[in-house]
Amino acid sequence: MLKKYAVFFFIFAVLLAFVTGCTNSEESSNSQVREEGTDNSAKTEKKSITLLYSFASKTIDPHQDFMGVRAGIAETLVKIDQNLEIQPWLAESWQQIDEKTWTFTIRDGVTFHDGTIVDGEAVEASFERVLEVNDAIAANLKIETMEASGQDITFMTTEEYPSFLSELVHTNTSVIKIDVENISEKPIATGAFQVVDFTAEAEIKVEKYDDYWDGPANLDEVTIKFNSDGNVRALALQSGEADIAYHLPPEALAPIESSDNLRVESVSSLRAHFILYNANKPALQDVRVRRALDLLINRPVAVSEIMNGHATSANGPFNRDFAFASDEEPKQYDPVQAEVLLKEAGYERNAEGMFEKGGTVLELTLATYQGRPELPLMAQYLQAEASSLGIKINIVTVENIDSYLWEQQDEWDLVTYSVLTAPRGDGGYFLNVAYLPEGSLNPGQIDIPELNEITKQLNVTADLENRVVLQKNAVDIIQEELPQSFILHPHIIVGVNERVKNWTPGAEEYYLITNQMDVE
Amino acid sequence: MQRVLSIIGSRCLQLVIMVLVLSFVTFLLMKVTPGDPIRALLKVDDVVVTTAEEERLMKEYGFDQPIFVQYKEWILNVVQLDLGESIIAKRPVFDMIMSRLPATIALSIGGLVALFLISVPIGILGAVYEGRWPDYLSRWIALVGASIPSFWLGLLLIYFFSLKLNILPVMGKGTFAHYILPSITLGVAMAPMYIRLLRERLISTLQSSYIEAAKTRGLRKERILFFHALRGSLIPLVTMFGLSIGSLLGGITVIEILFSWPGMGELIVQAVMQRDYPVIQGYILIVGFLVVITNLVVDLTYLVINPQIKQGKELG
Repeated sequence: MLKKYAVFFFIFAVLLAFVTGCTNSEESSNSQVREEGTDNSAKTEKKSITLLYSFASKTIDPHQDFMGVRAGIAETLVKIDQNLEIQPWLAESWQQIDEKTWTFTIRDGVTFHDGTIVDGEAVEASFERVLEVNDAIAANLKIETMEASGQDITFMTTEEYPSFLSELVHTNTSVIKIDVENISEKPIATGAFQVVDFTAEAEIKVEKYDDYWDGPANLDEVTIKFNSDGNVRALALQSGEADIAYHLPPEALAPIESSDNLRVESVSSLRAHFILYNANKPALQDVRVRRALDLLINRPVAVSEIMNGHATSANGPFNRDFAFASDEEPKQYDPVQAEVLLKEAGYERNAEGMFEKGGTVLELTLATYQGRPELPLMAQYLQAEASSLGIKINIVTVENIDSYLWEQQDEWDLVTYSVLTAPRGDGGYFLNVAYLPEGSLNPGQIDIPELNEITKQLNVTADLENRVVLQKNAVDIIQEELPQSFILHPHIIVGVNERVKNWTPGAEEYYLITNQMDVE
Repeated sequence: MQRVLSIIGSRCLQLVIMVLVLSFVTFLLMKVTPGDPIRALLKVDDVVVTTAEEERLMKEYGFDQPIFVQYKEWILNVVQLDLGESIIAKRPVFDMIMSRLPATIALSIGGLVALFLISVPIGILGAVYEGRWPDYLSRWIALVGASIPSFWLGLLLIYFFSLKLNILPVMGKGTFAHYILPSITLGVAMAPMYIRLLRERLISTLQSSYIEAAKTRGLRKERILFFHALRGSLIPLVTMFGLSIGSLLGGITVIEILFSWPGMGELIVQAVMQRDYPVIQGYILIVGFLVVITNLVVDLTYLVINPQIKQGKELG
């Protein structure tokens, strides 16, 4: 009797759980139907899409977070276009008066989301705020004084600073209205969309701003959601919960590629994955050893096997679409030549087949980190290639790579690393931070006098053509001296529902939501 | 009543001691492990900065001070109910945590409901059919539940219910339907311990003398099971809940991140990655507070479930 009741109780509980589950799901599917219903009936008036992004925003203060520009809320004075060249945006034109003085003319008819007009003074106020709240931007822009007059804003920099223009592409230099409450959740700016609601680290809802200076957006509403799990992003795209899903893992693409109503966009990013050599280590101070290691990198195999084809082989630090990138083909895999170079450098094979010099085996510590899952794979791949040639590589995986590289400089010989090498359409940034001895991204203590000279010259060269020539020279030296071995430029992989029109992802990843994008 | 007051008093004392010890240990650990917020802050922005500039910022934020000085500063502010400001987001830590806390608590409750619906029937089944196939089935369910990683279970649930059946949303928070998948994931992750514990306790309670007495008095077996045995067997489960509230709040992080649940999960994971000390410390403080409060509630619940304790007797 007791057992019978226990069984009944169990079945009842399971049924109860199931029924509540079903009712809820019915409710939800009903509500979905209802939503769709309202969508259908109101299709002529409400067009909306959902974009799914990987890095969550804690704040959407455009002076602190990239989402201000990404979500189409805020805009900068200048932007970079598909060809990665600088174009007018809020500023219709600009003029360099002298080495330190720049005047920008703001377009007529630009208004903030509350209707107030954007003039030189409003821009000045916005810049005053960013210099106050964002230390990194303040250090980077080097603004000494500003002066507004009518639609003009004049910046005087503390030093000769030709790349000032390209630094204004930085999304944190957006022009926003400053005398408003709650900028971190509801910034008022000039973009095609204005904020309706923001839940930190979860979602942003924006709606069309009717008086947008470049013509009102085709879409009425956009929802941007964050999810840091690549597989969930892929599932959300397939279930129709998202129309655009960023940064999909290559292994999750098959069902999206085979679907009739979804497509995969894969664009070369401005990022480079590379091996950085520690210039303090005696073995690696010999350029022949660095070259030998470089010859062990099989770039086409890394692209096809590790990146599933979603990458481009690198021939230097910069995306090959840039005018200032190298024209040479990426280096070929050549273990035979690597062996020749090692022997030239004085290494001989010992009884175990390992290379040694003066009784010391060539043994290197390769640091890597999980932040980008492909980097440890590249480390293992290099380890295997080196081992078959006769170089022992020990891999260490660290959690916080930047701190490790700086604080344990004696411990590592090489590291798999990844940097946005030209985030604002100019290579000056990377040349300064990664190669100058005082650069903040130079834990390997690279110091190549010839290269430092060019970088310093670049820092005082305004003419764009001359800048291209100087940057090309810098790339040539880098490829000759090999302070790093550039492997590939990973692609930005985006899954898109076919109903989204007039939209492709850009290499810069700044302008995700535009007034042009539309849905069927 | 005296008993209630003494429980509250001892818990408050415990709270103060725990907060001091916990906050100091985390403070120490965070400073010892590699990583600093200044580099994270600058890296976020991808701008040209020199190492000299980094050092200037380290100074400005006081990170060059000895650790005891930094801790003293922090604890003095905490006493004045000021948890400081996030280094990365530049927003008050208290506001940041409080805006996420309700969602985490809501999901915890959802998880507990799922836990109850899963573990009680299966636990009862295991006890009543001790040594027979339903018992093995319950054991098997507990084993699978204990072995399956939450994130994978979550992905499987999303795959079946959102993609294949298309009846539940993939992620986010909004309608009641949004609660179902994350709650089940959380409930399944916690259930195995409770299933096993309930089964063991129920088996031994059913053999105890007062149940025998009830049987001889001719009470119906189902009444004995649900009104007498089950009530007695629930006490260790309540104790266990008090003990596992900490691990619940830890485990919920993975589920929140998977389902884009706007709770404290993403906040704390990002804060740890970026070494945003004020946020980490604030989180530890508030979670520690919650754990103590929950244990207090659990202690007081005993008084309701088992009147023996009212008379000051400890449980055997």
